[in-house]
Amino acid sequence: MSVLSEYSPKRYLKVSLFLTVMAIAVYFAMKACRVDLASMFESLFTNGDVYLRFIDLDWSTLWHMVKAAAVTVLLAALATPLAACLSIIVAIAGARNISKPWFRLPARISLGLERALPDTVVLFVFIAAFGLGVFPAVFALALGSLGMLGKLWADGIEEVDDKSLEAIRANGGSLWQSIRYGIIPQVMPAIISNSIFRFEVNVRAATVLGGLAGVGIGYELSRAYSLLEYGRMGMAILVIVVVVHLCERFSGFARGKLLISGGLE
Amino acid sequence: MSDIVYPPSIPTDAYRKPSDKFRTRSGFFLGFTIILVLVGAVLGFNPFMLIYEFHNVQDLADRALPPNFELLATQRSAYASLAETVSMAFLGTLFGGAFALVLAFLAAKNTTPSKALSSVIKNLFALERALPSFAVMLMFQIAVGVGPFSATIALTIGSIGMFGKLFSEAIESVDPKPIDAIATVGATRSQTVRYGVIPAVLPSIVSNWFYAFDVNVRSAIALGAYGGGGIGFQLVLAQKTLRHDDLLAWVFFILILIASLERVSDFLRSRIIKKGALK
Amino acid sequence: MLRVQDLCKTLPNGRKLLNGISFSVEKGEFVGLLGPSGAGKSLTLRCVLGLTSATSGSVDFESPDGNTHSICDLRQNQLRRVRCHIGVIFQGLNLVQQLTVLENVMIGKLGCIHPLRSWLYGFTDREAREAFEALKEVNMESFAERRAYSLSGGEMQRVAIARATFQKPSFYLADEPVSNLDPKNAKAIMKILAQLAKKTSVLGVFHQPDLIAKYCTRVIAIKGGEVVYNGDPKISPRKLADIYGDELQELEISQQNGQELKQMVPATG
Repeated sequence: MSVLSEYSPKRYLKVSLFLTVMAIAVYFAMKACRVDLASMFESLFTNGDVYLRFIDLDWSTLWHMVKAAAVTVLLAALATPLAACLSIIVAIAGARNISKPWFRLPARISLGLERALPDTVVLFVFIAAFGLGVFPAVFALALGSLGMLGKLWADGIEEVDDKSLEAIRANGGSLWQSIRYGIIPQVMPAIISNSIFRFEVNVRAATVLGGLAGVGIGYELSRAYSLLEYGRMGMAILVIVVVVHLCERFSGFARGKLLISGGLE
Repeated sequence: MSDIVYPPSIPTDAYRKPSDKFRTRSGFFLGFTIILVLVGAVLGFNPFMLIYEFHNVQDLADRALPPNFELLATQRSAYASLAETVSMAFLGTLFGGAFALVLAFLAAKNTTPSKALSSVIKNLFALERALPSFAVMLMFQIAVGVGPFSATIALTIGSIGMFGKLFSEAIESVDPKPIDAIATVGATRSQTVRYGVIPAVLPSIVSNWFYAFDVNVRSAIALGAYGGGGIGFQLVLAQKTLRHDDLLAWVFFILILIASLERVSDFLRSRIIKKGALK
Repeated sequence: MLRVQDLCKTLPNGRKLLNGISFSVEKGEFVGLLGPSGAGKSLTLRCVLGLTSATSGSVDFESPDGNTHSICDLRQNQLRRVRCHIGVIFQGLNLVQQLTVLENVMIGKLGCIHPLRSWLYGFTDREAREAFEALKEVNMESFAERRAYSLSGGEMQRVAIARATFQKPSFYLADEPVSNLDPKNAKAIMKILAQLAKKTSVLGVFHQPDLIAKYCTRVIAIKGGEVVYNGDPKISPRKLADIYGDELQELEISQQNGQELKQMVPATG
């Protein structure tokens, strides 16, 4: 690597070229998005009274919102274990150290595909087939998690200490036994920790996806917006913030305890 | 065998019988499954519907195949939508990331001028992360109307929250020893930051920035579905007008878009990291 | 009970790692394998176990029911059944760190347990009790519920031995089982192995010639992939220097041989 002195003309050229390219890109991006900061600030002021309506929260809808939030959390609670179980299987199939090559490729490909597709897209496909409701939401959430979890675990399985697997086989264990006693104890703590983290992420995602599918608090929020009932909308936002924050706390707490207790079984 | 001396510890009969372990373990699994089934029942979710309602998938396949790839030619708005989504992700990542970076330096324990400021900012990050970005977007739509601008704002603000945390954690995990060394030669705080912290933390910041872009592209699609324009809007449109061949075409376009963006990101990222720390 | 004939292992680039290894181990023998590093001792053990496939040659193992199995020709399922009768103690110990000591011992018998039962139920109480007995014999019973990662090297070694004895095999294979131990523990382990050898047979790789001299019934020396000595465990210092060459300095040798050997090295080194 040649050492360019900090202030050589070449360096300035490179940096200014980079900045120019960036500036051009930003300009066109802003055109494409119809960005108009001046009118935004102006608008924010003129609509100030509308924004004040948010502060006047509609407490009468609290229970309704909490129920909707419960639905959203349950969506995540259902989808995450589903995805976890499926991804363990796919991960075992996709790991280099235990699986035959002709299992590996399709498993890895499907994982890669899962990760490339945003969950919104998967949701719309399911909605197109089955209509709105809980069903497409859960599946979209689960499939979205599958890709990430599966890859994490396939990598984790590959990093397992091969020697202990070998010892099990040398003592007469079969392939499946070496998985049960060699691999699973070593990856289980990571699996559970990641699943809990994924649950927290999924609660957030369930807000968004549920809203598109017509269930949960995400939907309540967008519905309140379209009805121009901003007090209601503010209430929904408040409930979401509290619930998401609680889930985050729970997730951190559960994973911390896991670390200390050293894994189940 | 009596050469070895052992510390007297627990009584020699102490081990848990496998049958007990099996009982606890299967009890736990059973309980867990029951809870899941209950949750499914409460929500009205029946996974077996996938099987006996499978004809819906077949119907969809009939309607959706072959995918209408020609819409790129027939629909004028298609390219605009693609540009909108990529642009809003780009802008959101750029500006949101920039704000997040500045705030992260103020929030990280080892670079902040004030502990109180640090915790205030960290709480702001946490608050922001709990807010769903579509809610932020809807609120801005009151002022600026429907369309990609509102989504861009929402993405920017969302990025501040998400990457504020990531960046500040990266800054906090920097090796303190070189920083101490720099401080002892009499450098000011900002000099320490510039020479001690920034070079150490730059690779992970660059990495995270590209990751942020990828995440934001996906968020941009979701926001679009809530009225933010771009590809998300096209998806909703195709779905509502039951033009499922358009929908499937968009699915493919999205796949290609994300895959190519990922390639470009990887390429750029490795170029930047290879060249060493810029500036 | 174990007959190795003309075992050869050649790498694709032509290098010969094992060149016609032949020896046998009968019941009641405690055979020690020694040689300089890279000579092929561990590789021989791995070929005997079927963990590595040999290029040519045969390994015949006689199981307690009287059948002779040619290990090089067996497929996975049959190999598994044969391995039921062979207890293995690795140098790297190879315990599963997250499992308890007791579970690690019980793993030894996996060859005789049906995989379905392993998945659905696990181990039985009786197996646990027998494993506990095996731990008692190596004086590790108070560690039964401890997780393997919290153990010291010597403790792990003894658990590995318990894992092998729990299997109640007719043959033991040990790859440097005492290399990580201090002399006191090493002697204790050698005593256990010698005891086991009386009823079964033990083939072990060791780097400590004086331990071999004291406890083994026979010694086989491997150098450069070939057997260069097969006989009385009390090897003369000159012969040892011959086998080990430069490495003689690195060996842990007891005081009494040490003086003679150190004097000989300049002549042969």
